[in-house]
Amino acid sequence: MFHVERMEQRFDIVVIGGGHAGAEAARVAARGGAKVALVTMLREAIGRMSCNPAIGGLAKGNLVKEIDALGGLMGEATDRAGIQFKVLNRSKGPAVQGPRAQCDRDIYAATVLELLEQEPNLTIVESAVTSLLHDGKAVRGALLQDETRLNARAVIVTTGTFLRALMHSGEVKTAGGRFGEPSAETLSDSLRALGLQLGRLKTGTPPRILRDSVDFSKMEEAPGDAVPRPFSIITDRIPLPQVLCHLTYTGTEAHELIRANLHRAPMYSGQIAAAGPRYCPSIEDKVVRFADKERHQVFVEPEGLQHPWLYLNGISTSLPPDVQDGVVRSLAGFEHAVIARYGYAVEYDFVNPEQLEPTLAVRDVDGLYLAGQINGTSGYEEAAAQGLLAGLNALQLVRDREPVILRRDEAYAGVMIDDLVTLGTTEPYRMFTSRAEHRLLLGCDSVYERLSPIAARLGVLDGERKRRVDGRQERVTRARDLSLNTFLTPDRETVVLLDGMELSISEKSSVAKLLQRPDFNLTRFLDTVSLPGLRAAFEALNEEETEAVVSRLRYSGYIERQEREAAKLSQDEAVAIPAGISYALPGLSREMVEKLSFVRPVSLGQASRIPGVTPAAIAILRMHIRRGVRAAS
Amino acid sequence: MSSAAFDTIVAPATPVGRSALAVVRIDGPRTSAIIDTLTGGPSDQRIAVHRYLNHNGELLDDCVVVRYVAPHSFTGNDLAELTLHGNPLLVERVIAAAVELGARIAEPGEFTERAVLNGKLDLVQAESIADLIAARTTLQAKLSLTNLRGALSTKAQGIRESLLFVISRLEAALDFSEEGYDFISRAEARAKIEEAIAACRSISDTWRRGRATTAGLSLVILGRPNAGKSTLLNRLVGSERAIVTPIPGTTRDIVRETIEIGGLPVTIADTAGLRESSDVVEGIGIERAREAAAGADIVLYLIDATSGRTAEDERELATLDEPLLVWTKNDLAPAPGLAISAKTDAGVSELLARLDALVRDQFAVPESSATIVNERQRQAITACEQSLEVALQSLDAGYEEPIVVVDLYRASNALGVLTGAITNDDILTEIFSKFCIGK
Ligand SMILES: Nc1nc2c(ncn2[C@@H]2O[C@H](COP(=O)(O)OP(=O)(O)OP(=O)(O)O)[C@@H](O)[C@H]2O)c(=O)[nH]1
Ligand SMILES: [Mg+2]
Repeated sequence: MFHVERMEQRFDIVVIGGGHAGAEAARVAARGGAKVALVTMLREAIGRMSCNPAIGGLAKGNLVKEIDALGGLMGEATDRAGIQFKVLNRSKGPAVQGPRAQCDRDIYAATVLELLEQEPNLTIVESAVTSLLHDGKAVRGALLQDETRLNARAVIVTTGTFLRALMHSGEVKTAGGRFGEPSAETLSDSLRALGLQLGRLKTGTPPRILRDSVDFSKMEEAPGDAVPRPFSIITDRIPLPQVLCHLTYTGTEAHELIRANLHRAPMYSGQIAAAGPRYCPSIEDKVVRFADKERHQVFVEPEGLQHPWLYLNGISTSLPPDVQDGVVRSLAGFEHAVIARYGYAVEYDFVNPEQLEPTLAVRDVDGLYLAGQINGTSGYEEAAAQGLLAGLNALQLVRDREPVILRRDEAYAGVMIDDLVTLGTTEPYRMFTSRAEHRLLLGCDSVYERLSPIAARLGVLDGERKRRVDGRQERVTRARDLSLNTFLTPDRETVVLLDGMELSISEKSSVAKLLQRPDFNLTRFLDTVSLPGLRAAFEALNEEETEAVVSRLRYSGYIERQEREAAKLSQDEAVAIPAGISYALPGLSREMVEKLSFVRPVSLGQASRIPGVTPAAIAILRMHIRRGVRAAS
Repeated sequence: MSSAAFDTIVAPATPVGRSALAVVRIDGPRTSAIIDTLTGGPSDQRIAVHRYLNHNGELLDDCVVVRYVAPHSFTGNDLAELTLHGNPLLVERVIAAAVELGARIAEPGEFTERAVLNGKLDLVQAESIADLIAARTTLQAKLSLTNLRGALSTKAQGIRESLLFVISRLEAALDFSEEGYDFISRAEARAKIEEAIAACRSISDTWRRGRATTAGLSLVILGRPNAGKSTLLNRLVGSERAIVTPIPGTTRDIVRETIEIGGLPVTIADTAGLRESSDVVEGIGIERAREAAAGADIVLYLIDATSGRTAEDERELATLDEPLLVWTKNDLAPAPGLAISAKTDAGVSELLARLDALVRDQFAVPESSATIVNERQRQAITACEQSLEVALQSLDAGYEEPIVVVDLYRASNALGVLTGAITNDDILTEIFSKFCIGK
């Protein structure tokens, strides 16, 4: 028998992939005290924004805030790299407002790397993983291409779009997950060997344009907010100078050109069979599906302060280069534009996420977690939030503690993960506010209240963050309580005073009550009436905190109602379905039995959300579980 | 193609007792095997065939067998109906044989429940079956049939779809506000919501008629002592139900009897004559008479033609809401209005015609219209209507879309509860407990 000398290293957790999911997973686990290795093919590719140079947006901004409240890094990195900040849906109420920031992509990636390098428990390994090490259904680590064995209790796979990735640009196909980077070919086989079902998805990117080749004076200006609002509670001020974006439109010329060349687009020629996102369609999709629209808007976004490229948000495409040239040059301001990199579509393997537990652990496999685009999601924020939760759960596994599962009424991240593991997905999953049935409870303004205590309990919230979260909470609570407990009586003097502000009261009213009036002007009110305590409480708040107090009071009726409804629904969440249950029960159709056996919901609540599982079926399941519980006791 | 998850059940589908024929139903995967064993060979589906039933070498009965193969049956499973001779002993023996061959006795409503579970019926339709079976008048039966054909469900579903349209547009405007498209204006949303409210109202307006058709009407006979109230009750019922004497104050307790008028069951209440009374028992009777009148669908106020309209009559009439005035003892004295004589029977058929028309006009359901017939349905449609009104108020008060849609979702869920698209098991249990075994 001969002995082969092999390199071996021991970690608690190995994270495969240095994208947004991998970075969050590795950092949070390391902060919690686990010894973590992050394996990436390219050190500089850590934190890379492979698509648009922006973080946040509708619903996605909420995810970034949640990540921040849970001690993640995305908010902080965005604040340091942001060059245009804007709160979207400002007029639509706090529940659906989404902060968004245009970023300098190089500074963003460098910041993420820097943040990871600061973690003493985290080792960055520059290599490729060829396969997972496992004993039957227990994962033991990862094998690198140089034969090094990284042994670990848990492995988190965050390989994004790199599994058997194929890039399409017109008729040309290239293997690879991102321009200039190789695809991970063999890891797919490892996952299949563990019994996982894989599916195929596609996503696309728009062309990048040389900034010096366009004429901005022919486009509309798209400025950000005058006062940028940071994502992270750790940020005091936004360091980078703020820039303009621009807006231009496609028109008949572009649409006709696209129509004439549809047969050359891989999605239409049949070259790509995988499903792409319906809601983030390529320009060829838009032209076909919204044939009556005369124009589609295109945001022209800088890729960075110094970066020579522009990103054309709104026309992702995989049409051949000659068509892209024509489409781009038809845009106002782009008559002489030079395309620096043509848009392309990527086709890749993903794991049907119904095979995961709500912890993002692969069911029936010990110690294996998946996070990010590999689970069928799209977007940096969706990936990062999963990475954070997978990191936390791997950390808990290593420490032999309870898993972390966020409820649907607790976080958008909770909604997303529950959706993924319950419904699966047939197109890249993107977060929307409408996916959350208790949306009013999930506004950015309540994120620290909801989630930071969880992070503190898990020991992943550093001292400074905790101090800031507590301080914010104290200020906000003080202003809220004073508003509720300060009353005005309709005496002569008060009535005259209020009349000057076109306000009237007919009975004793709290300030909170006045705040509920849509036309109430708080600043003017505090300036007019003499309520020094209340005034001081509000003066201690920043703009975001003031909005948080006002909206919480203004919508209290609705918020409390949703809280009650959520509590009622959560009764079913608490009814656990025994792990080994057989679904072949009288009254359940074969389709339902199959669906339930594939998803294997952990609770009755989760089961009720599986498509095709009827209320009658839930009634049958409930009866069966009750009987089982009675029989056992 | 049958759902293997069901077991096989058997039950009589007709009432137990002697009759010309009795039907036994078998449902579930073992149906064919049981029938084949009993008849001694395979039989065709959906064709009524005459067969002898034998079990353990003994002849049970000769009968007509109809087999339905899943999913083309009432329940969606394999199903058979055996039409036996109507002797309870025979029925019992056939059922015992089926049980020996692997079936079990069905729970009440289990056949219909299976139809719902297999998506063959929705909840409103299942309820209609229970109602159809329980129907005591032709109108009731017609109404149940209308809802069984899906009239109410279709209408509710239509409202729900138009609400989902508004919700999806409002949601798109929230989640895609940056895309530069117009999804729906507030005015457009407002109009759609108002439309839905009107549609809900038109359904909830059917409640009075729907309830009257299923639960029946109450008619109270009121009048001074000796006006002839008990005499009229007896005449309408066709038997000496109440005591009649020339002594004023004969009737004390309310006497009730149900007859059919205008296609609906109408419960007639004969009451104590109204007057000032120092008699404690009579006093209580008079109080009950007034209470009954207050809750009645129809009030007949009788006036004795021989004594005419007295001051007391005027006082009583002033407290009543649209009573029907009827003059009695028309054989003894002339009368200015609708008048009857119990002696000669004059005017009685006119009175009946009046009542018939009244019931048909005000209470009977127009044929083939979507109608709510029970409290569960009424609550669902009212909940929908109320949520829509709140949504409209928040829209008008200038609240943002995320707030407005909260109540639109509630409204749409309420409609889902109506048809059973959304439900909880308490509702299911309640509905199916109303069935008799075998349905
Ligand atoms: N001739 C004649 N006698 C009638 C007629 N209707 C009732 N009577 C008589 O009037 C008397 C009273 O009739 P009831 O029916 O008992 O009167 P009531 O209104 O029930 O009286 P109370 O129960 O005492 O309130 C009886 O003797 C009846 O026979 C009628 O149409 N013609
Ligand atoms: Mg009487």
